[in-house]
Amino acid sequence: MPSFSLNVNNKIHTVEAEADMPLLWVLRDLLDLTGTKYGCGVASCGACTVMMDGFAIYSCQRKVGTCVNKKIITIEGLSEDGSHPVQKAWLQAGVPQCGYCQPGQMMTTAAMLEKNKNPSDEIIRSTMSSNLCRCGTYQRIKEAIHIAIEEINK
Amino acid sequence: MKKEKIDRRDFIKISSLASGSLVIGFMVPGLRSLALPAFECEFFQPSAYLKIDNKGKVTVYIAKQESGQGVDTALPMIVAEEMDVNFRDVTVEIAPYGTMKEGEHDTGGSQSVMQMYTPLRNAGAVAKAMLIVAAANEWKVDINSCAADNGEVVNTINMKRIKYGELICQAALLPIPKEVTLKNPGDFKIIGKSEKRSGLKDILTGKSKYGLDIKVDGMLYAVAARCPVLDGTLIKVDDTAARRVPGVIKIVRYPGTKAPMHVRAGVAVIATNTWAAIKAKKLLNITWDEGKKNNESTEALFKTFEAKAKTKPLVEIFKKGDVTKAVGKKEISAAYAEPFLAHATIEPMNFVASVKGDQLELWGGLQLPDWAVNTIASESKIKKENIKLNLTLMGGAFGRRLHFDFALEAVKIAQQIDKPVKLIWERTDDIQHAMYRPANYHFLKANTDDIGNLVSWQHHVLGTPVAFMTEGPDSKNFDEVSGVDAGFCYDIPNINNGYTPVDMNINRGWLRAVDICANTFPVECFIDEIAAALKKDPLAFRLSMLENRLDFKTGDKPGSSMQSPARIAGVLKMAADKIGYADKRKPNHFIGLATHSFIFAKAFAAHAIEIEMLKPRKFAIKRVVAAIDCGLVINPDGLMNQMQGGFAFGLTQALKGEITIANSRVLEDGFFGYELLRYDEMPAIEVFMVDSKEEPGGVGEVGVSTVAPALCNALAAAGHRPRTLPVRNEGYSWV
Repeated sequence: MPSFSLNVNNKIHTVEAEADMPLLWVLRDLLDLTGTKYGCGVASCGACTVMMDGFAIYSCQRKVGTCVNKKIITIEGLSEDGSHPVQKAWLQAGVPQCGYCQPGQMMTTAAMLEKNKNPSDEIIRSTMSSNLCRCGTYQRIKEAIHIAIEEINK
Repeated sequence: MKKEKIDRRDFIKISSLASGSLVIGFMVPGLRSLALPAFECEFFQPSAYLKIDNKGKVTVYIAKQESGQGVDTALPMIVAEEMDVNFRDVTVEIAPYGTMKEGEHDTGGSQSVMQMYTPLRNAGAVAKAMLIVAAANEWKVDINSCAADNGEVVNTINMKRIKYGELICQAALLPIPKEVTLKNPGDFKIIGKSEKRSGLKDILTGKSKYGLDIKVDGMLYAVAARCPVLDGTLIKVDDTAARRVPGVIKIVRYPGTKAPMHVRAGVAVIATNTWAAIKAKKLLNITWDEGKKNNESTEALFKTFEAKAKTKPLVEIFKKGDVTKAVGKKEISAAYAEPFLAHATIEPMNFVASVKGDQLELWGGLQLPDWAVNTIASESKIKKENIKLNLTLMGGAFGRRLHFDFALEAVKIAQQIDKPVKLIWERTDDIQHAMYRPANYHFLKANTDDIGNLVSWQHHVLGTPVAFMTEGPDSKNFDEVSGVDAGFCYDIPNINNGYTPVDMNINRGWLRAVDICANTFPVECFIDEIAAALKKDPLAFRLSMLENRLDFKTGDKPGSSMQSPARIAGVLKMAADKIGYADKRKPNHFIGLATHSFIFAKAFAAHAIEIEMLKPRKFAIKRVVAAIDCGLVINPDGLMNQMQGGFAFGLTQALKGEITIANSRVLEDGFFGYELLRYDEMPAIEVFMVDSKEEPGGVGEVGVSTVAPALCNALAAAGHRPRTLPVRNEGYSWV
């Protein structure tokens, strides 16, 4: 079985996997990084969102063979202690209900703010529409995004 | 003296032995020898609900299962309140399965706070009372000179203080009081003040373990292909190609089951990782016997509904006066229809099962674990006492995990391999093999007298009952009309509400807000239609039939709910007031109202929705106001989150939620076909609470049912009334 060297959360991991295995299952089944969630496997819900070289990607759509030499950040690496401005904002707004989709929501937000510290409402709307929340916490996600924007522009 | 750690069950036993009385609120499992061991005072556990360690740390065990509704916060707040400890110092854990009374783990119907409010107050008060006695003994003073304050007992004479943690050894040996004094609600310091969710930081750092995240030693991963038609059987499977996929360990078959769960016959691929199992599943070549009921469709179902709607209902639900007396006056009638719906939790169904000899261990999230374990025991022939269930967090439930088909499947698969297996449902499985909210149809008829009074109301509900699936087609418990029709709230002289079941070969289950949601839509829309026909204002018209009416019991059965027209009116008035219903509206702006009671959780809510019509059949939601009365509120922030999320849930159903069936198969196969509300479609919602001193009700479901009728009433005011959900089927679009 092929072997791949991956940079996940600033650590190098070597995994043995078929080259077509999506990054999602590499993270979850092989590296035990279960903060990245499975929701659909077909790029429709955003639960599996991670950051790759600073961009939000659906990890269910990215084959492990294409992830070598990329810098991958998962929710566990956003900050271990919840000190990233996005995590702090989510805490302050008390966003989660079941919480299952929230790692994906936060990774999408973190990647958006990494590229643009002051996204317009239109950019926020179109960016965040990639992530489903069945509990319906969108109002609090919106509130948290604005808290995070304020924090990073201080 | 030999020091011995003792587990919490032993501690309970010692406590009850010392008291010579039974401990309140729970069973003591497996009483063993009665020899009292010497022990180290590590913690004091006066009941199954809580323990205090020697550092003063309080752990509260929650039997109600967390799926996002916030029970892991509201329930420990109740304990902390009566114990007089700082809520932030309380640790919350899932009560291990088996440590509570049968049924106490059951989580559904927005019942958690209602059921647990008094037992948890008692548990907190008992612990506090025992700690106070321990302190009084220590100081050799009267207990009336001692008071609890923030995790300490205070000697009110000399103001000396002892921490709870220092009192646990003495407290553990005291008799458990049979009666305790509960706080006056006016003295509450924690209940009624907003608290952040327990375990929030774990969720935000990815550490929370949902069922899908469980990994046990040696575990393999399974994905299953299921018969596309319910109750079909497997003829043969060619798995040659599937077995060649690297990582595949074994491919197993399992037969389907009948009621209550109707597990479909399946073929499961067991592999070393999920991806290998998913890939191999696609390569299975399976021949199914679909059975005879393989050509049913929702199109035909709604035609059957329509044909039966004008006949006499099979069962009478609620009757008052004599509707036949009103015949001959002005008649208004209309028919409404709502589709099957899937729960579509973002965490797909999953379960971990491990069979070792005659022992079964399980991991996963369930709302009704007793029902699951009892059924699994009889299906698997594994003794109930040999089944260990480890409950986990749920990534959403909404009623889906009241059912346990996925757990039963995991056991059937695990019985065929000597390693633990995690069964994972793909999204397609989740949408196509769900427990659908019954499709339903309503024919309503009203008569008015010569001077414009509403004198009769008839509502014929037709549905595909859940009970036909869980109990079988001979079930008599099919009249799914709790509250809205059985406890019909509008005071009309002559009423006749009835129900007719129609069966179909598709699985059904309970979805958040259940039949109350399905029936509130037609009732609240038709009331508006009558008001329009009588040229009356829909708010005043409703209030004229709700205000100054007495509460009434909805049936003769024990446990029948109380209906309260006054509280239904109260939330309606509040919603209308807050949205500025009486104010002059901007051009092309329209407001729709709807109100109801979520009757068996003693909760009442109304929505007022203001839309702007942009062009015919295209609208924008401009303002949403919700008003709720659920008695005493434990955690206002939790209530707000439920009402905000409940609105999103209701709006999804109003706008686009629909499962369609052809050839007895579900056509939607994921979120592209079965669409959920997205971020850019979520309007802001303002939530207002009625300040109430009534006993607490439940808030998990009350925020859903009035969304669709309020929206449809606004659309009707703008010119065209949609009578089928979702409204996009009537050509509506929105921005």
